[in-house]
Amino acid sequence: MMLNKVLYHSVTVFDLMVVAIILIIAMVIAKALSLYLKRFLREKASKGHLEVLVKVTSYSIFIIALIVVLPLLGVRLSGLLVAGGIAGLAIGFASQSVIGNLISGLFLMLERPFAIGSVINVDGTVGIVEDIRIISTTLRTFDGPLMRLPNQKIFTANITNYAVNVARRFEYVIGIRYSDNADKAIEIIKNLIQEHPLVLINPAPMVFVDNLGDSSVNIIARIWAPATEWFGVKMELLWKIKQALEKEGIEIPFPQHVVWFANELSAREMRGPESDNPDY
Amino acid sequence: MFGQYDIPISIEQEEITLSVQKEGESLLYRRACLGETVEKMLVAGDGKVLLNPVEPVNKPKSLASHLLIELEKTMQIEPKGTRDIFLTFPVEIAVFIPSNEEFEVIDVFTLPRQKLTLYGDPVNGVICKYWKSSIYPAEPSLNRMQEGLIELSVTNTTTSWIEVTKAVFNAYGMKIYYDDDKASMKANMRLKGGQSAETEFIDEPVEEGMTKSLEIYTAGKLSVSRKKFLMEFGV
Repeated sequence: MMLNKVLYHSVTVFDLMVVAIILIIAMVIAKALSLYLKRFLREKASKGHLEVLVKVTSYSIFIIALIVVLPLLGVRLSGLLVAGGIAGLAIGFASQSVIGNLISGLFLMLERPFAIGSVINVDGTVGIVEDIRIISTTLRTFDGPLMRLPNQKIFTANITNYAVNVARRFEYVIGIRYSDNADKAIEIIKNLIQEHPLVLINPAPMVFVDNLGDSSVNIIARIWAPATEWFGVKMELLWKIKQALEKEGIEIPFPQHVVWFANELSAREMRGPESDNPDY
Repeated sequence: MFGQYDIPISIEQEEITLSVQKEGESLLYRRACLGETVEKMLVAGDGKVLLNPVEPVNKPKSLASHLLIELEKTMQIEPKGTRDIFLTFPVEIAVFIPSNEEFEVIDVFTLPRQKLTLYGDPVNGVICKYWKSSIYPAEPSLNRMQEGLIELSVTNTTTSWIEVTKAVFNAYGMKIYYDDDKASMKANMRLKGGQSAETEFIDEPVEEGMTKSLEIYTAGKLSVSRKKFLMEFGV
């Protein structure tokens, strides 16, 4: 029989046919799984990330198929397993962080807490996301440099995404003197805020006396602006508020302490008995 | 002010000064409006300039793609009732330069107050150009440089009375028509519940003989499939 013809060692033509069939089945499974993943994750992951995921899945299926067919081709896996076990241990220790980053990267791609172009804060590092790769994510901080952050670090860190909403609120604390009219100051600030075209009508800005501080009456102004514009509006408005208040005679006071002498006479004694000038 | 002009032109109207003058082989475009000035050198063109009202969402910045009109007084609509009303909208004027049968926007300006607002919540809502309008039972006389007219047909499809305080429109579907007196649009608003409604524009002038405005996004070759807007955060 042709099928039982031994080619080398104990490998027959039949074995080769089985190997070929297993590899073809593996190819079909890999292709079907790739198509399924592409359809299922089309909306959830970006094109680049999806390609990586599909390739990793396809190669994994091929590797499994290869492990299955190797004994049929006369390759003893027991020897490979011993050698592979030791090598695997060494590689495992060496690539622990790489695998951790890889898995974190996959989860980040699926969870998508931010996208390329988002402004995020990762444990105090603020920047614009330049790229999200399988192992690391690149941030461009606002002073220019690119920062590469391992995905594992990002995955376990507290992330604040500043650009996920269409609008964002910011606030000022404006201190005025106790002698100034707080109602008038609030009206001036409100008018100035409402004049700005990029300050949103709704949610309405809030301006109110928040607390009576040591040196000033503290007024809080809470303002909403489009998420892409809030910083420009914040930079522009504060100085205008200061100028408008000063124009109306309302001043932002320096920190100050009023000191009362318990015994005025002893204070005079310290200046000397001959001094009659109280301002000295 | 709306219409097509032959270059050179010089227009002064209300607080707008606009001119296009030849400077050698090129054209110099100058515009001043409410303290904002623009100067551009135009290297090509067919010797003409088109000025017409466009979708009022470009100013103060191209951030919004919707127009929210807040009604000065709320309007109660009876169950299954329909009412035609007139509202106003802020006029934004675009300057187009035709070249090889295509139009390019070179500038947009506006006279009325420019404000933005948020419709919905900060997560799911949309940034809208804001405008406050009275409700007119008949066509009012308006300053056409500042205010345009929307003929709005409001239909209550429910079996309860509904109070309407605002209308939100997708600016990409707007169809603006103009003549010597006014810029205008026609739109429908179908109330689907106490908190939701659907708005869309009708591609018809409010009167015969009006000229259709060139839309910015048509000129910019931006295709937009969804022209209706579903108001799901309150009406």
